[in-house]
Amino acid sequence: MTPLLFANIDEPGLNTIDVYRRHGGYQALPKALKMSSDEVLAELETSELRGRGGAGFQMGKKASFLPHGSMDKYLVCNADESEPGAFKDRELMQKNPHQLVEGIIIGAYAAGVNRSFIYVRGEYQYQADILDAAVKEAEAAGFLGERILGSSHTLSLVVHRGAGAYICGEETALLDSLEGKRGNPRLKPPFPANQGLYQGPTLVNNVETLSNVPHIIRMGADAWAKHGVQNSTGTKVVSVSGCVRNPGNFEVELGIPTRDLIMGLAGGPREGCEIKFFFPGGSSSPVLTAEEGLDLPYDFDSMAKAGSMLGSGSVIVVDDTIPVVEVAKKVAKFYAHESCGKCSPCREGTNWTVKMLERVDTGEATPMDLDIIASVQDQIMGNCLCVLGDSMAMPIGSLVKKFRSEFEEHIERAREQRGMGVTVPEPEPVALAGAEPDVGPY
Amino acid sequence: MPRPEPKPITFTIDGREVTAPEGDMLVDAAKYGDVEIPVFCYEPKLGQPVGACRMCLVEVEGIPKLQTGCSTPVKDGMVVHTQTERVHDAQKAVVEFLLVNHPLDCPVCDKGGECPLQDITFGWGAGTSRFIEPKRHFRKPLEISPLIAIDRERCILCYRCVRYSQEVAEDYQLVLHDRGAHSFVGTFDGHPYVAPFSGNIIELCPVGALTSTAYRFRARPWDVETAGSVCTLCAAQCNVSLTVRDDKVSRVMARDNHEVDDGWLCDKGRFAYQAIHVDERVTEPLMREGDDLRPVSWDRAIAAAAAGLRRAGRHTAALVGGEATNEEGFLLQRLLREGLEAHDLDSRLGAQLPVELHRALNAPALQAAVPDLEFAHAVLVLETEPIDDAAILDLRIRKGIRRRGVRLAVASSRPSALDPAAEQVVRFPPGGVGQFLYELASGGHALSGWLRDAGEDVVIVWGERIGGSPGGANALRALLNLAASLGLGEREGAGLLAIPAVANGRGLREAGVLPNAGPGLVAPAADGRGAPEIAAALAQGELRALYLLGADPLVSYPGRGAWSRAIDRASTIVAHAGVLTQGIREHADVVFPAEAYAEKNGTVVHPDGRVQRLRQAIAQVGRVRPEWQVIADVARAAGFDLGVHTSAMASKQLFDAVPFYGGLTLEALAGHGLRWPAGDGAAKAPEADLAPFELEPPATPPAPTGGALRLGAFRSLWAAPEVRISPSLQFLHPDSRVELAPEDARRRGIDDGVAVEVAQNGTSVRGRATLRHAVPMGSVFVSDETAIPTGTLVEVRRA
Amino acid sequence: MPRVHRYPDGSRVPPWDRAVDLTKAPAPVPEPAVTPVPEELRRTIEAYMAKYPDRRSAVIPSIAAAQRHHGWCSPEALDQVAVVMRLTPAYVESIATFYDMFENEPAPPHDVYVCTNISCSLLGADELFEHFIETLGDDEDFNIRSFECLGACDIGPMASVDGVYVGPLQLDDVPRIANDVRDGRPVLRSKQIAHRAVADPGAAAPVPDPDTMAAGPPMPPERGRGEATAPEDEI
Repeated sequence: MTPLLFANIDEPGLNTIDVYRRHGGYQALPKALKMSSDEVLAELETSELRGRGGAGFQMGKKASFLPHGSMDKYLVCNADESEPGAFKDRELMQKNPHQLVEGIIIGAYAAGVNRSFIYVRGEYQYQADILDAAVKEAEAAGFLGERILGSSHTLSLVVHRGAGAYICGEETALLDSLEGKRGNPRLKPPFPANQGLYQGPTLVNNVETLSNVPHIIRMGADAWAKHGVQNSTGTKVVSVSGCVRNPGNFEVELGIPTRDLIMGLAGGPREGCEIKFFFPGGSSSPVLTAEEGLDLPYDFDSMAKAGSMLGSGSVIVVDDTIPVVEVAKKVAKFYAHESCGKCSPCREGTNWTVKMLERVDTGEATPMDLDIIASVQDQIMGNCLCVLGDSMAMPIGSLVKKFRSEFEEHIERAREQRGMGVTVPEPEPVALAGAEPDVGPY
Repeated sequence: MPRPEPKPITFTIDGREVTAPEGDMLVDAAKYGDVEIPVFCYEPKLGQPVGACRMCLVEVEGIPKLQTGCSTPVKDGMVVHTQTERVHDAQKAVVEFLLVNHPLDCPVCDKGGECPLQDITFGWGAGTSRFIEPKRHFRKPLEISPLIAIDRERCILCYRCVRYSQEVAEDYQLVLHDRGAHSFVGTFDGHPYVAPFSGNIIELCPVGALTSTAYRFRARPWDVETAGSVCTLCAAQCNVSLTVRDDKVSRVMARDNHEVDDGWLCDKGRFAYQAIHVDERVTEPLMREGDDLRPVSWDRAIAAAAAGLRRAGRHTAALVGGEATNEEGFLLQRLLREGLEAHDLDSRLGAQLPVELHRALNAPALQAAVPDLEFAHAVLVLETEPIDDAAILDLRIRKGIRRRGVRLAVASSRPSALDPAAEQVVRFPPGGVGQFLYELASGGHALSGWLRDAGEDVVIVWGERIGGSPGGANALRALLNLAASLGLGEREGAGLLAIPAVANGRGLREAGVLPNAGPGLVAPAADGRGAPEIAAALAQGELRALYLLGADPLVSYPGRGAWSRAIDRASTIVAHAGVLTQGIREHADVVFPAEAYAEKNGTVVHPDGRVQRLRQAIAQVGRVRPEWQVIADVARAAGFDLGVHTSAMASKQLFDAVPFYGGLTLEALAGHGLRWPAGDGAAKAPEADLAPFELEPPATPPAPTGGALRLGAFRSLWAAPEVRISPSLQFLHPDSRVELAPEDARRRGIDDGVAVEVAQNGTSVRGRATLRHAVPMGSVFVSDETAIPTGTLVEVRRA
Repeated sequence: MPRVHRYPDGSRVPPWDRAVDLTKAPAPVPEPAVTPVPEELRRTIEAYMAKYPDRRSAVIPSIAAAQRHHGWCSPEALDQVAVVMRLTPAYVESIATFYDMFENEPAPPHDVYVCTNISCSLLGADELFEHFIETLGDDEDFNIRSFECLGACDIGPMASVDGVYVGPLQLDDVPRIANDVRDGRPVLRSKQIAHRAVADPGAAAPVPDPDTMAAGPPMPPERGRGEATAPEDEI
């Protein structure tokens, strides 16, 4: 497969505008500006490009929700990649920032937006510096600012750095954080397309989604949509990590067999180990065992049908040397730490789950606690303000369900080690003093 | 702007069809169908719903996920289910989650018995909790301010207090720290949460996390009785609900009246009830023996007072202020005018205004109501500081700006707390309000255009101090011209709102406590002297007796020097006082104990014309007698029968005497009062000449020479005797402050916080220097209104 | 059975929450006349405020700038951000305590964020973090923190040293990192992510030679040490 997003990715200096242009960059932009913004929008809709940040909602449709009119509209690029296991946006921003910038300019044109932001997570300091430099180069070249390339399109682009919060990857929390408040998600409806940043219509898209836009315009939507499969068009940059020999980012066509991805591209498990299970879509997705998942095609619909999700396309592989309880504890602690605290089920439920899993780990638990853990996950699902609660409930719930026996064995082993035993001791017979019990003067 | 007029729609809830206004949230609309949906974080007074607690989840047909009822507006044809198993499971789950970290403090928690968490757990919870882990712990309880204790373990992080601090009071002092399950409510770096409206979070908090330290462990809800009344500590006259235990007021809570206070109270109103029961309060009649005031019997005090008044005859003057009700003022002016044939009485602090001006300013058409502040297109705050003079209006104005897009302009000499929220800020030198109004009315000021273009509904909030200063009458005529040019009298929703210096200023005026107006603003038998003239006459011996009803000239009246001489010279001074302030303590001959508002029966009139009723909630403390009765007894002893034997009779006399109260009854006033003068009584309003007035250009004040600054005075919300004697509020009693611009201070070698002296011609005021960058150069503001008149040129130097 | 955990003052209750000091005045929007701000910090904050349609959006970069200047988000630093941005310091503090990268206690100048999230911990990040703590935990130059997923799972177990991502790390890389930082050299140059090629074989990238590739990331400015004194403690 010819790479699209990863074409020439390691060319030295690709992050500078000259090298980017030498490799065909900033040719989609003039082409788009010659079309009307409605035509560009139609191209995006025809391509059926689905959001690459995790939700998988069609980008063109989302962009078309923005109302027409001369009010202030915004485009925010969600570069707050904090999902465990996801590192695709880092590679794209670090090595080919102009691809993203061009995508933002074209996307803004399609939606009628004239102020845009890139919200990049604070930990990506190097990548944010590179983006800053790229934006300056784009401004100097006249691709940003007033009347771009002589058209009526005006766009300003500000790179905004976050400061370390996973919840700010959720689009409404990101908007709140960008407005200078605590990163708490908002109620939806109203959706950001109507009331977003500063209460104005806002389009929020992931880095990878926007990076695809120049290619869609350059090749034409139909040609681009030939990649991938029905309902999951295009290429996807998949991050594979964990117990594999060759972790990293791979640009694949959606629909590739998962086995080719994990065993082939990522090199499969290490010497002497077998894959026990994997997270198909970052640590927020229900796990799939090797038997369940390796033979499925890697695309949105197949993953959903199997009871999991594609999410951001980040595969974390766990082999049989890792205890399941460790994985569950680690994942739960992450969500408890990152919960924003606004809604009760997530705030208290994540906290509670962590405490229960710690007790399971030290053995101060019983199988009934596993039932309670599962029930708490059910109580969290669907009742929270945003998806972070669900993002914990799904993997933990699936781990407890699919590896129940391993949890129980762990509890038994831990109790044995501490001398607490598993069986209830027989009560010793107590000798009664006389024949009749003394009832007392009632 | 037009008030929202929702149209009724029909929706189905639990199988029943219900009609509700469109756009109402599901939680409110369900009440029309007698269905209760439990909520914690939903509080419509706090603005947009946040959907944070997830308690109100219900099933709406057509939407797969459960929806929060607090954020879902009802639409025609919506079908809602609140009794399905799915909803019950979700509700039980949320209660279980909320109780996960909530301590079992009910036996020792003040909120027990009136706690929404208890009620909702009982009604919608599962009945058991499976949580056996250690709960999160905090040190508790901690004082987050001297008035409020915070117990962070009980906090269910519903966000209400933080949203209140940020979106209603806009003081941004109370915030959430940390994240997730570690979140807690706190302030910056150990600073206390002290703000004029901080007490409202006690009522907002649905659990016992924020509690009143003054009410701590005092009573359980089943021990107390509640009584409703009106707080008369300031002109805002908020409606309150008094919690009474064993005939003592233990607590004051808000009694939501959308037309007056919108459900909020300021801290003074909330905690100054303590002044009712402290020892410092005067609860028995006193008479002077030498330098001291000694307790005497009622008969003796009344006899002495009557004798003194009879001796002075028509050389008696009266000053009414403080918390005096309409009836008290009315009866006193009857005593003076009809009993003693004296005509020198005043309820205002400054120079007299022509009665035509009073009638014009009282015109019903020109009157704006408090809700108009929320729905106007533009509001102009003119030479008044709402947060000091009528605190609750500050919140109302902010609500209008925040929720309805009201545009605010502030025109004052002193920087105002509303400046950050204002679109236009105009500063003029102290004493320059006359010049400003002259320019504004003639259209020559930069703000004139803004006012014209701002919209049709303009409300002008102005301070009555404008009328009291020199050139005041002219300034007010300019104000009336301005109102006419903006067409304020022609629209509902636009008008003037006068903030009096005295809590019941408007009521006392309408009851006839003015030198040149009788009850109903009709011409009296003869015109008399106003307050400054009374002072001069007393000092010269032309007046001999002074009756002080809730007023102390040395404490709140400008012209301290003149008043000092006046009360020194007066032969008889009879005073009603709850606290012995300086003038009364040193000079009064007979002191009658004043009632607190919780003990009174009577009526007061809100600045916007709403007649409100005070109802007695507790028996009079000590040997206090109703003040209307004291006046009647003094009158009788002086040979004049006022003909009142009950407070209802006093009210009836008042309603009969004032033409535009005709038809009003105490029963009609009920709990929320009536805007009678502007409504049913409007037809009987006195004839008012509203035609454009001739204006004289105001005199130009002399330019400052050699480093002199122009003085302005202000009075803090907390500068009241009730605050001084309430144990909880004492820390708020302000010390004397002098506000300077940083550059002016630097040139005089004055640093922030040092003692300075402000002097003019031998009179001086001392205080602590406070540097504020918002104070314009050339102005200085002192917190004492009595010593030096506003607008005078003064010297400021280190003390 | 585990012992009941007690805090230094002997109680079971954590002493880290703050009571208020009732002798202090409340903290409204600070008065510019009495709140001095270093000129450079003021200029930086005002430049940030100018970039956004609503100046409040600049609060995160402004707090970061104040932290760089003072070494940590001290009450003084937050006060200075508040006075320039015309906010209350309480509001600024609520932002500063929400995000992980803001230090709310005095911290050493060099940040080492060790990722201990799932992908890295599958590869031994917990032991790596333990070793960092044993070796450099008390060192006054290094602020060792365990952090959530830093977005570099392909080089796990990894750490971010003053913003430079290095990995995969072995236990003996720890003293090497310390020495590199102390001597002012680029940290573990061969293991920096800036020099790592993409793993996708389809992208047909040549194996990068650290010396021929573009110079690595610029050395970030050293964070001011600020006052290493703890906040005046509470009642």
